[in-house]
Amino acid sequence: MTAALRAEWTKLRTSPGTTWLLLAVVALTVAVSAAAAASARCPAAGCGQDPGKISLTGVDLGQAAVAIAAVLAVSTEYSTGMIRTTLAAMPGRVTVLAAKTAVVAALILGAGALAAGGSLLAGWLILPGHGFTRAHGFAPLTLADGAVLRATAGSVLYLALIALLSLGAATAVRDSAVAIGLVLGVLYLLPIVAGVIHNATAQRHLLQAAPMTAGLDIQATTGLRSLPLTPWQGLGVLAAWAAGALLAGGLLLRFRDAG
Amino acid sequence: MLAALPYNQHMDTAIEVDGLRKSFGPTVALDGMTFTIRPGQVTGFVGPNGAGKTTTMRVILGLDAPDAGTALVGGRRYATLRHPLTHLGSLLDASALQPSRTARSHLLWLARSQGLSPARVDEVIEQSGLDKVARRRAGGFSLGMRQRLGIAAAMLGDPPVLMMDEPFNGMDPEGIVWMRGFLRSLAGAGRAVLVSSHLMSELEDTADHLVIVGRGKVIADTSVAGLLAAASGDRALLRTADPDRAAMVLEHAGASVTVTGVGLLTVTGLDTGQISTLLAGQVVPFSELSAHRATLEEAYLGLTQDAVEYRAEYPGGSGPPGSGVSPGGGVPPRAGTTGARP
Amino acid sequence: MTATQAPPQHSAVAERDSFACTLRAEWTKFRTVRGWVIGLTVAALVTVLVGLLSAAGSMSSCNGRPCHFRYPVGPGGEAVTDTFYFVHRPLVGNGTITAQVTSLTGLLPTATSGRVRAGQSPQSGMRPGLEPWSKGGLIVKANTTQGSAYAAVMVTGGHGVRMQYDYTQDIAGPPGRPTPASPRWLRLTRAGDMITGYASTDGTHWTEVGTATLPGLPATVQVGLFATSPALTVTTAQGLLGTSGTGGPTLASTAFGQVRLRGAAPAAWTGTQLGTGTVDVAPAMAGGYHQAGDTFRVTGSGDIAPDAPGGAGPGQPLDHTLVGAFAGLIAVVVVATMFVTAEYRRGLIRTTFTASPRRGQVLAAKAIVIAAVSFAAGLVAAAIAIPLNSHVLRANGNYLYPANLLTVARIAAGTAGLLAVAAVLALALGAMLRRSAIAITVVVVAIILPFLVAVTNLLSPGADDWLMRLVPAAGFAVQQAIPNYPQVSNACTVASGCYPLAPWAGFAVLCAWAAAALALAVFLVRRRDA
Repeated sequence: MTAALRAEWTKLRTSPGTTWLLLAVVALTVAVSAAAAASARCPAAGCGQDPGKISLTGVDLGQAAVAIAAVLAVSTEYSTGMIRTTLAAMPGRVTVLAAKTAVVAALILGAGALAAGGSLLAGWLILPGHGFTRAHGFAPLTLADGAVLRATAGSVLYLALIALLSLGAATAVRDSAVAIGLVLGVLYLLPIVAGVIHNATAQRHLLQAAPMTAGLDIQATTGLRSLPLTPWQGLGVLAAWAAGALLAGGLLLRFRDAG
Repeated sequence: MLAALPYNQHMDTAIEVDGLRKSFGPTVALDGMTFTIRPGQVTGFVGPNGAGKTTTMRVILGLDAPDAGTALVGGRRYATLRHPLTHLGSLLDASALQPSRTARSHLLWLARSQGLSPARVDEVIEQSGLDKVARRRAGGFSLGMRQRLGIAAAMLGDPPVLMMDEPFNGMDPEGIVWMRGFLRSLAGAGRAVLVSSHLMSELEDTADHLVIVGRGKVIADTSVAGLLAAASGDRALLRTADPDRAAMVLEHAGASVTVTGVGLLTVTGLDTGQISTLLAGQVVPFSELSAHRATLEEAYLGLTQDAVEYRAEYPGGSGPPGSGVSPGGGVPPRAGTTGARP
Repeated sequence: MTATQAPPQHSAVAERDSFACTLRAEWTKFRTVRGWVIGLTVAALVTVLVGLLSAAGSMSSCNGRPCHFRYPVGPGGEAVTDTFYFVHRPLVGNGTITAQVTSLTGLLPTATSGRVRAGQSPQSGMRPGLEPWSKGGLIVKANTTQGSAYAAVMVTGGHGVRMQYDYTQDIAGPPGRPTPASPRWLRLTRAGDMITGYASTDGTHWTEVGTATLPGLPATVQVGLFATSPALTVTTAQGLLGTSGTGGPTLASTAFGQVRLRGAAPAAWTGTQLGTGTVDVAPAMAGGYHQAGDTFRVTGSGDIAPDAPGGAGPGQPLDHTLVGAFAGLIAVVVVATMFVTAEYRRGLIRTTFTASPRRGQVLAAKAIVIAAVSFAAGLVAAAIAIPLNSHVLRANGNYLYPANLLTVARIAAGTAGLLAVAAVLALALGAMLRRSAIAITVVVVAIILPFLVAVTNLLSPGADDWLMRLVPAAGFAVQQAIPNYPQVSNACTVASGCYPLAPWAGFAVLCAWAAAALALAVFLVRRRDA
């Protein structure tokens, strides 16, 4: 397993695209978070907004870059035919997948930490100037606050889980275009459908089951009672999706011709 | 066997390349490449790996833009040709196929792009021997079948000029024989054929003319016969039971003789007729006397040894055969070369 | 020195001819890859299915029982809210009504005003304030049925004097609100089918505000005074479950003086409350009136306006049947990107450019082919989804705002056009980037993410508005079933089907993006080595 880990780590760190994509994760997340913070307004106390969630909004876009990175880590092997070399060198297919998963997760955790940290910093700098002050009932955004810490750390975990979900999907489907289409569809479509459904119960169930909305529950720092799931439950739903995708990908990898 | 398709256009020069220069970043790929391809013969385009053969072909096809110089097909730039596949058929990369498309569909879209009918597609399929596999997905083709498909695509427009990049790659012996015959028949029908290769043995019985390139330039532009003659030189191989006396006789006549094995002499300076007369006159027995015919490979290696980009180490410290480098050093006798045309 | 030229018409014919060949080749390329054809079929299917699932999940019930709403429909066929307090008398033939409006006041809901104890007046707990579109003035109405034709001239809470008729029409008049110190005079004159509204500040010098023609107006109409005030909808950016916050019915009270009616008016003044039955749609409070000679005070709640998404009614626009277009769009984008990146991946692009050296033509041909097939897929999907999903929505007790045939055709063609233009955008990006994953993500994110952000209220409404005008996602405005009426007090958010741009304007924004991307792609492809 160690050999596989080292091999996969070498593969990823010597591919220049990886660096660019990780940079994109951080840059996009922080940029969008800053934009969201800049456009948020709290005119008076009781405006009902969630500063923690606002300043971590960038994850909505950063996850797309994470998905690309994870999908490409697998599907470029298939598109170039390198998968044959990989499996000839390391015939234990499940080991290969596990090693890849571990390496990708580690990289995304790192990039995600930078992204979440940067976003939080942007929120801490920008939001107080837009009415999110103590006078209106908002404590400053620091990691000392338990809820904020959970939201930030949870966002990092969220990104890693998105990476795992994408990795599993790409291993199952093998084609990068179809894989990214599936992942983006599952992430971005379900909340839109939920927004359109008129039935409150059905809407709630959909929001509980959809990976993006459930997972992002972890970012809520206020109004927890109105959420369809508790923060950790929500992240758990996303973890279930990721596990399912990895399982599907692993089974197909193990039992299919190498391609 | 593909029947020779009659061609119906006549040109003096099929492809003219003049002063092409191209660099990819710091790498100089073409450094003043100049040559002309004429109809009615198979021209071999040979050189070591990295000499600029594929780049030249890509520039001719308008795929890469040169930094300087021109490449003309029938006197015109490729990009200005209408239905270009009817002027120049090419095979650059036989694997450039969509795996999920059938062979016939691949030829069909190509035909449509030139305004040709599906009937022509079926004609070409039959002539390349692909009729049994035409409706199979191209992704499942073996290398040989892909090559045939590539040739069918090149012939689709019935062009008077054909250009192929390493068409022998991956062919089995039967395929090579077929290909050789096919190329010769094309030239016999009056078409111009340009075949690039880095394996001289393939071209030995196929090419009439050679353009030898190295490091982005033309090193030699000569007929095959001429090159072989120059490379062979006046050398003969003599197998005799009495080497000392034979050597004495021949050296007395002005030849230089080296011993190249037990009972084996290499004689330089006299042709075989003169040697046999001299030895018979002195009653020196010999069992074999043959004029040394350089192989095209030896000739080529002699020419290009300076131009090789990627040279591997040879076991025993010697150089590649024909270069004359032997273990223990020593300056090799230089094989005759023709000067490179600028 | 003279330059030689090829005869122009010969080369033009040759160009056209070679483009036709290239187009034919690209079509053959597309249809011979089974995966791509399947992909487009899947796109059409998911467009229908996702809409179907959403419709199936949208069950509306009123306290556990199926809802039976009475929905008034205006003369133009649109769903309307027609709720107000009407002090009226019948008028036979032509006539004029004139009145001086001395004040317009109102009550707004507070956090506690919704919870009323038995015995307390519903107005207790409300605070003074005027909803900007609260209305009071003179009205001529065909009869007292909800949805009947009318023309009214009125003062409003925040938009000055206005003349409105047949629900969708709104004409602005002089600004300002009436006060006892500076009252406004209003006049409505009926002449056959034509009704003209006038306003004045002194009762002598009149300015015409506007004219309405109500075809088929009966000889006897109801003419009189009215007051109404729409519910207050406060949009505060909230979580994914939609907006929640302060909101509720409001009340407006109009004081009229010197009310004169000229014409054959047989009966006396009567007061009628239109709407606010228990099965009525919009929450409103009961109104009333006091009369003292020719002075009236009329109090009313509700609105006389077209039903619009985001307003008080629970109706849904027809757009919701096509929510699956997002899913179809992703599938189309995947196929369109692969149509070009597959060639780069295999090196097939060199064969293509060898066969057709005019690279711009190749890209144009590819764009035409993919746009055409995507349009066809979208049209088929819309043709199935609209009737099918409407049926399911209605069967589930939902109310769909009515839409005329032209609107339905526009929505269907517009959705198909959305898919086609998104495909071209994806193709252009694929040709530029040559990597499918990144190209697909960029297009999907550019088109879907702003929509998602708007639907889930992540950005403030102002930022939403700005965003939805500029990004490619603005194209979704073409699906808008009900136009954005400025005179309706509704929360115009994307989530409820209200877009800042008019349908074709939004579509044009998307087209502009696609055209720019394609132009850039052609430029890059021609410059680059193949």
